[in-house]
Amino acid sequence: MVGHYDENMLPEMLPIYYTRLFPQNIFCRWLTCGSYPQPLSNRELSFTLADDVYLRYLTICNQKELQTLLQKKCPHKLDIGAVYNTKPSIGRHDAVVLSRELVFDIDLTDYDEVRTCCQEAKVCEKCWKFMIIACEIIDRTLREDFGFQSILWVFSGRRGIHCWVSDYEARTLDSPGRGAVADYMCLIMGGDNQNKKVHLGSDNLHSSIRRALTIIDKYFEQLLQEQEFLSTSDRLDKMLKMIPDETLRSLVKKSLESMPEASLDRWNTFINVYENYCRESGNNVRKIRYLVEEIKIQYSYPRLDVNVTKGFNHLLKSPFSIHPKTGKVSVVFKPNNAKNMKLDEIPSIYSLLDDSSPDHVQHETNMRAAVKNFQEVVFSLEKSEAIRRKADANMSLEF
Amino acid sequence: MDLNIRRKSTKLPLTGSLVETYPHDLQMYKIPPTEDITLQEFETLALERVTLLRSLATATTLKGLRVYSEEWTDYVIGELRTQGLKYYAKLCEKSSCATTEADLQARRKDHIAHFILRLAYCRTEELRRWFIARELELFKMRFATMRGEAVETFFKLNNLCYTNISDEEKSEIIHFLRESTPHPNIENMKFFKVKFFEVLDLVKMRKVYLSGGYAYIPHKDFISVLSAQYRTQLKQSLAVACHHLGEIEQDERLVSLLKGLHQSYSGNDYSDAKAVIPIETLDSLAVKSFPLCMRQLHDQLRVAHHLKHGGRLQYGLFLKGIGVTLEDSLRFWREEFTKIMELDKFEKQYAYNVRYNYGKEGSKRNYSPFSCLKIINNTVGPGDCHGCPYRHCDVGILKNRLQGYGFDAQAIGEIIDMTKKGHFQIACSKYFDAAHHCDLGLGINHPNQYFEESQKIAKGDIKVEVKKEPKKAPIKKEAVDELDEMDFDEAM
Ligand code: SF4
Ligand SMILES: [Zn+2]
Repeated sequence: MVGHYDENMLPEMLPIYYTRLFPQNIFCRWLTCGSYPQPLSNRELSFTLADDVYLRYLTICNQKELQTLLQKKCPHKLDIGAVYNTKPSIGRHDAVVLSRELVFDIDLTDYDEVRTCCQEAKVCEKCWKFMIIACEIIDRTLREDFGFQSILWVFSGRRGIHCWVSDYEARTLDSPGRGAVADYMCLIMGGDNQNKKVHLGSDNLHSSIRRALTIIDKYFEQLLQEQEFLSTSDRLDKMLKMIPDETLRSLVKKSLESMPEASLDRWNTFINVYENYCRESGNNVRKIRYLVEEIKIQYSYPRLDVNVTKGFNHLLKSPFSIHPKTGKVSVVFKPNNAKNMKLDEIPSIYSLLDDSSPDHVQHETNMRAAVKNFQEVVFSLEKSEAIRRKADANMSLEF
Repeated sequence: MDLNIRRKSTKLPLTGSLVETYPHDLQMYKIPPTEDITLQEFETLALERVTLLRSLATATTLKGLRVYSEEWTDYVIGELRTQGLKYYAKLCEKSSCATTEADLQARRKDHIAHFILRLAYCRTEELRRWFIARELELFKMRFATMRGEAVETFFKLNNLCYTNISDEEKSEIIHFLRESTPHPNIENMKFFKVKFFEVLDLVKMRKVYLSGGYAYIPHKDFISVLSAQYRTQLKQSLAVACHHLGEIEQDERLVSLLKGLHQSYSGNDYSDAKAVIPIETLDSLAVKSFPLCMRQLHDQLRVAHHLKHGGRLQYGLFLKGIGVTLEDSLRFWREEFTKIMELDKFEKQYAYNVRYNYGKEGSKRNYSPFSCLKIINNTVGPGDCHGCPYRHCDVGILKNRLQGYGFDAQAIGEIIDMTKKGHFQIACSKYFDAAHHCDLGLGINHPNQYFEESQKIAKGDIKVEVKKEPKKAPIKKEAVDELDEMDFDEAM
């Protein structure tokens, strides 16, 4: 990650950023459309000010009020909450949440037990690959299985991505519905006390899992080499713990330990040993029928923070908010372009506002592209909302 | 509902009208009963249905049987027989549409009793949830035991008409149906197209093929659509009933009866502690009196000086329940967390949550500690240490830990055995016995209950001061599920 930046400069830079670069108009249109039939003012916004002071239950009626509010408070971080039946405010505990985009939050810290290049807040091009895979799998599931169309993908500002689904059906889905969608997508389960976190059973694999595996296969070898999943004895040990069958485990251990460290070679040997073992032990292998798939999934399938998806009114960082620690803009990107994204090309407030910065030109271009991506999603959302409302009106006329 | 209670029932109901009112063993309870019944019958019916619902719960939690499995159903029906509830046993065994007097009377009792319990169980979120869960189990069990023609009549009676997809459409997606529908003989089944949110239970378990927002289900899976509808309807009517409680409770006799029913199940929710536990004793209590789920969180906190959100919630509420005061609790978490972070960060990001658990922040609800059921069904993700260890630990890890605690091999064997069979709470009870060198075989359903039972044994060992009755503003007790709103994006 680049940059000479200094958090102390933010109070000066943010007002300029909000006026000149933050796409206020599109932002308001997106939220207005996503709040319908409630007015924009029933939507909760929340600001984080300097020194981590939270302001909750802020509201705006239109773009002008947004502009004023941003100038007055100059938030270091901007979060979006739910739509209420009335204008929400701090004192009001009777406000009821009516709707909210269906959201997904994927964060690289949840990959710490598998990624080897970085840990915690760090992120590099190598582990970004996990996000590319996650984005592709989730995006296709949402579109193909659930039929959603208004899907917005946003860089979280540091080490993850967010996804906002604004289709009417998604926005009005109740908590059990959100939970079911999240569980449908969640294949990796278990905490620090479970080594094997994926269990696919022994029956047919569900179509959505097969599709995910096809996507994973496009990246898996490269991931394996870059992350060197099997190159040290510690890592090898972790992988061996995912094999439930003891005989097979010791066979694999023996063959892999005695060979050179390259992860891809070791992986291929593992596959060989596994296949031979299955062939020889006949019907004893039901339990490990999908072992290879299970391990691949544990290494690379999206790790969702399901609580964010299940919660109806979980606050989530807004698109185009600035990450206060990195200065990066939470840009909107196209899911099919995720693999071309370069982390150091993601615009930061410092290089955007400093025209002597070496990254200035490129960051400006990328910022423009990000706003354009945002526009495209909002325009198509507006269009489909208009169609839906018209259809609804016709329906009610018929009765 | 308008149930008029009279001392004595004189009118014999007409069989003819009963046939019309109750054409089928299985009903969706859409229309409340209107006939007059005696207070005595009211009470009997209510108690009998509570017994029925409880036997469902016992089958799952105490007997450890898998819901809807054959053994589970057998156990429930057997229980009904031994409890003298033959009419329920009959209704559950194979629902049909026969019209003998006995059938009709059974249906009538089923109908009235269901509505009486709505009144008893609409009072709190916790009770509502329990009631809905049991009634749904009952409904599904009865649907599952129903025979072919009875199923068809049921659909007709309830106006459930769906048209199946055409053969062409089916043959286009037959490959996916085969992959994603867990039934044999897909070829010979008719398939129906419903919106995915009508069959959330199938979606959740990935047991249905989804495309473009639609779920493709065979006839068999219609129970999912039905029970989802039933659940929604039940939820709404309980909310309505709750609103009108005042009117219904004009009659004092009813009030005490309904409240008594509810107490007979609800048990303790442990949201108000009886004693004060000083935090200095936690290390030794963790060893002596905590269930494993809490001991493991305590150890983790001492080692890592941090717990993730789910762990803080589960452990924090438990501590509140055993009697750690808010001030002590703040001190306890602060001392650990500030070993790895600045005091300032703790005060800003974590102190709020601690106070929140005690109902001092946000919507000021007095949250109750989690029950085993809630903990067992919690999602546990990477980096998390909460949950129930019998459910969320690899057997190997669990075994090592128990060995580390110095339990003898036989006890460990028994605990592990129960864990492997999926009887988490029984495993917990075995752990209790091993930790206390006794053989009580308690039924554990709440970590705080575990703690209290353990304290009973230890009494005399540990000093427990009696808490002075504090003056406090009344705090609304609300469901734990509503904790969601405090979920800030803490990872940023
Ligand atoms: S059974 Fe209950 S008390 Fe025992 S460990 Fe599990 S959650 Fe804790
Ligand atoms: Zn990295």
